[in-house]
Amino acid sequence: MTQSIIIWLIWLPLAASPLIYLVGRISRRQWGYTSTARWVALAALAASWVPFVHAYRQFSAEGVLTYVYGSVALRLDGLSLLLAGVVLLLATLVTLYSNPYMAGEIGESKYYAMLAAISGVMIGLGCAADLFNLWLWFEAMAVTSYLLVAFYRDESAALEAGVKYLVQSAVGSVFVLMGVALVLAQTGTLDLAAVGTAVSTQFADSPLLLTAGALFVIGFGVKIAIVPMHTWLPDAHSQAPSGISAMLSGVVIEAGLVALLRSLSALAGVAAAWGELLIGFGVLNMVAGNLLALRQTQVKRLLAFSSLAHVGYMLLGLGVAIYAGNVAGAEGGFFHLISHGLMKGLAFLSAGALLYVLHTARGDHSPLTVSDLAGAAQRYPLVALVFSLALLGLGGLPPLVGFMSKWQIMAAGFATQNTVLYAIVAFAALNSVLSLAYYAPLVNMVYRRQPSTAVLAGQPVPFMMQIPLLLLAVGVVAIGFWPNLVNWLVQPAGAALLAAFGG
Amino acid sequence: MTAWLVICTIALTWLGAGAVWLVGDSRPRWQHSLAVTFALAAAVTAVLLIPQATDEAVITLSVGGMFGTFTFVPDGLSVFLTAVATVIGSLAIVFSVNYMHGEAQLGRYYALVLLFIGAMAGLALSGSLFLLFLFWEITALCSYALISFYNDDPKAVRGGVKALIITQLGGIGLLLGALITRTYLGDYQISTLLAQADTLPPNILSLLAFGFLIAAMAKSAQVPFHTWLPDAMEAPTPVSALIHAATMVNAGVYLLARFYPAFAGVAGWKTAVATVGMVTALLAALMAMVAFDLKRVLAYSTVSQLGYMVYAVGVGGVFASQLHLFSHAVFKALLFLGAGAVIHAVGTRDMRQMGGLRRQMPVTSVAFMIGAAALAGLPFFFNGFWSKELVLEMGLEGGPLWAYGGMVLGAGITAFYTFRMVWLVFWGEPRGAAHAHPAGTAMRVALIPLALGTLTTWLVVGPFGHWLADTLPYHHLHVKTTAEFLRDIALAPATYVAIAVVGLGLAAWWWRDHLTGLAKDLRGLAQFAANGFGFETVNRVVVNLTQRAASALQLTQTGDLNWNVVGIVGALLLVLLVLAG
Amino acid sequence: MNDMSILVAGVIGLLGAGLYGLLAVRNLFQVIIALQVLVKAAVLALVMAGYASGNLALGQSLGVTVIVADTVVAVIGLALAVQVKRHLGTLDIKALATLRR
Repeated sequence: MTQSIIIWLIWLPLAASPLIYLVGRISRRQWGYTSTARWVALAALAASWVPFVHAYRQFSAEGVLTYVYGSVALRLDGLSLLLAGVVLLLATLVTLYSNPYMAGEIGESKYYAMLAAISGVMIGLGCAADLFNLWLWFEAMAVTSYLLVAFYRDESAALEAGVKYLVQSAVGSVFVLMGVALVLAQTGTLDLAAVGTAVSTQFADSPLLLTAGALFVIGFGVKIAIVPMHTWLPDAHSQAPSGISAMLSGVVIEAGLVALLRSLSALAGVAAAWGELLIGFGVLNMVAGNLLALRQTQVKRLLAFSSLAHVGYMLLGLGVAIYAGNVAGAEGGFFHLISHGLMKGLAFLSAGALLYVLHTARGDHSPLTVSDLAGAAQRYPLVALVFSLALLGLGGLPPLVGFMSKWQIMAAGFATQNTVLYAIVAFAALNSVLSLAYYAPLVNMVYRRQPSTAVLAGQPVPFMMQIPLLLLAVGVVAIGFWPNLVNWLVQPAGAALLAAFGG
Repeated sequence: MTAWLVICTIALTWLGAGAVWLVGDSRPRWQHSLAVTFALAAAVTAVLLIPQATDEAVITLSVGGMFGTFTFVPDGLSVFLTAVATVIGSLAIVFSVNYMHGEAQLGRYYALVLLFIGAMAGLALSGSLFLLFLFWEITALCSYALISFYNDDPKAVRGGVKALIITQLGGIGLLLGALITRTYLGDYQISTLLAQADTLPPNILSLLAFGFLIAAMAKSAQVPFHTWLPDAMEAPTPVSALIHAATMVNAGVYLLARFYPAFAGVAGWKTAVATVGMVTALLAALMAMVAFDLKRVLAYSTVSQLGYMVYAVGVGGVFASQLHLFSHAVFKALLFLGAGAVIHAVGTRDMRQMGGLRRQMPVTSVAFMIGAAALAGLPFFFNGFWSKELVLEMGLEGGPLWAYGGMVLGAGITAFYTFRMVWLVFWGEPRGAAHAHPAGTAMRVALIPLALGTLTTWLVVGPFGHWLADTLPYHHLHVKTTAEFLRDIALAPATYVAIAVVGLGLAAWWWRDHLTGLAKDLRGLAQFAANGFGFETVNRVVVNLTQRAASALQLTQTGDLNWNVVGIVGALLLVLLVLAG
Repeated sequence: MNDMSILVAGVIGLLGAGLYGLLAVRNLFQVIIALQVLVKAAVLALVMAGYASGNLALGQSLGVTVIVADTVVAVIGLALAVQVKRHLGTLDIKALATLRR
């Protein structure tokens, strides 16, 4: 009877969104309380963990859950749970973090309302069971994130980033719709499972479906920042408020990836090399992302470019899984999704904490440059430590989580016993070394003894901002020591992917 | 019991690292004492492991998936390297109490050194290739962070990042090897690889063998990957002594020795290993001959001595390589710590500013000269002599003659540069303006056991060999008693050749004024050697090319909206073309 | 010429016009119009797909949903354009190319 847990999981944060906005505005206008929206948002996101735990229990006991309302179906499988878990984790921590970070900003209530909305929308995206619904959730996610990227609407750089993000995403979105139309025209249905069956029985050689697949790859690829559709990402991720940067890098691009996997899984029967395509884009993303990040001077922009490289690792693992039908690759890709969410979330949040105490809190909206970081460890030992852990983890050094997830992807590549993949894995390892050439100097900069002028004039880090940093850092280290800690999320997701691709 | 000793050895150092960090930089006295306590405790547990050595896994932890089973196997090679790392590590920490006195950011320093010691022990004790690689990378991380400990100095940062990148590049060889092992043999266990290597297809086995060789070359600073080690000398001197002389750089030799039984049959592998060792030993010795920075001379000499160990493995002398590793770890740690005391006292690393220090620093100079005698290979009381002779004897028996000739020449050059170094630092008239003060108590406490060790460790060659042979089922070491060893070495013709060449090397320094004609002829070579034989240029070209590629790619990020849409449409056309074709 | 090929021609025409606009126009307001043209191509394609698969009602309802959803995008886009005009004094997208490299 209670398959409706899916509804609770999605609607709790979604329904909280207008509530946060109204309560925030009213309490501010009527009683002069400015902080109501923050606490309501935190309460709503904390409460969302209850349906998540229930959904997880129920999923473990009964398998895939389905909820049908009229002609709309929602399906909760391992992949949905993985996305929901990462979304809720980051959203909760970001809400906590933003409490001091966004305090007193114009439109603070709107910020929290959007944060709750985007969380609900992403969870919904993970549960979408037909192609058009998938697009609808995807579009809702995009719309919400436009507003968050251009949150500082009096900053011309933020406006520029918002415009590019909007235009490029909208083009991608149209491509996806074109693909949906082609699938509908060819198969007469949009339900993911039904399309899958129709494809493998009737339309394996359809050029229309091949085109549809290409449109999905490009359309969702804009959001995933696949090279060469990545050009909006460094602008958007660096201009958004830092909590949003963490969300965008940590889950929004990954939600796009989930959408791509869902749509491609329906076309798995088409005689096309989806796996090889993803592997190819993975390699391209790694090398382009690392080279573009190599000479950046702004910290958040550097971190944004490094996301390209990490998406490359995920694409490699998932591509291997689709190409060779090996579950290890899928688990590796999803493990890296989690690990990147933790590490990049931590990196953006700690860089944001420094940005806040060095610039923003003093009313200065200039970006955080690498040289501003000099000597930060002297005044902010905790932030410096967790920032370094995040960076070294991203560079794939043990005993941090990034090492483990990269290892799993590489081992999965070898397990195929394919010589080309051996070479690709070696190339991926080479890229990991290359990435250290920009992560390591940042760590050195933070631990300088001579502080920069910005550090000398910096404010103290608010306590509320340190809590999420500490929690994420514990995750980065603990999973680095014991990778099995994430098996409960990663294994069902890997199984779901392989099942969807008929592996 | 054994399992607990293994756990304690690693865990004590890592707990110590956490404790020192948590105490905070406002209580330096606590930090010093905590670091010394934890390091000594780990050294004790490691030494207690010696009688427990076994070739069985004492800890087995099944992780599953792509991570396999975590095992720890404290066999002879492992326990030996662990004991070296922890004992010399604790001496380096004791030394640091004086050396790092009053420095800022002590917490970070001690935490990283302790983390390193634990990782090195873990590397040695790992029974699975996955764990081996994991600890291998942690040591690289610590090495990088400690080289660039003085972050404000751009040279230190460059040196640290360079060391990290070069050793990681080599590490890819080990990574691929571990993955190949799992793919073809089903798990990561080292024992599996040693037992079943001959069941692998020949091309896969040679990929594995040469992958490991590259990893070892990068870690042990063999030509052409040696360029990071001299630049690593920006680290605080106790770190140089510990990481870049006595322990981490030995990991490469350890790797080769560990897998020798599996790879000995691979076509060309032994010759390649011996050649790498010989070329490194010779070129690094030449570079040491012309350097003026005291720590750089020691760094080049480390590279050169590592070449001897690698060469020994290549000619089939696994035991000889380990014996020389043992001797070298002791006497080179002694030399580095002695050099640290000197540098601490005079405030410069340039030997041209030193001179006459034997009167101001009597203890340090005697200790240093004992280490120098071992490095030069002076007979008979120094451990370096016996192990080097054993290496050369193995070379004459099991390797090509030309390589042996190169090694003997290297021994002569070693004697030459050692004597030059000692002379410039301790003899002659004082040239520096600064007044030197004698070494502190903690420094002397660290130097004396190492000096005694240099004089005595050669006496345990027999028991050491038997102990190794008993716990290494795949290596088939031929070992004898101490007396037999010493007699065989003393009677071998190779020994007399070497002693004669060492004498020639000393004589060349003594009569250097009479050899001016020869010196002029060799000036071009010296210039070439001082420039690192062009390998630095190769490094620079690679870095430049990467940076140029990065800059060129950055031009594509125009920020122009129309151009960005071109990317999307172009990608669509490309994907359609690929899928249709 | 049957209905189907007219529809296909319409979709391709709108798509081409929209993409051409995005690649060529230099004014933010015109860019947003080009986006609208592009979206209309997708709406038409959905309706056509419904028609082709014998499920016209579905295609039409999808089309209407897309129009609604896209209106939100258009509103946000125009709001951004207003802000751009206010802060930069121009709608030329050349002025929106400061974030590069």
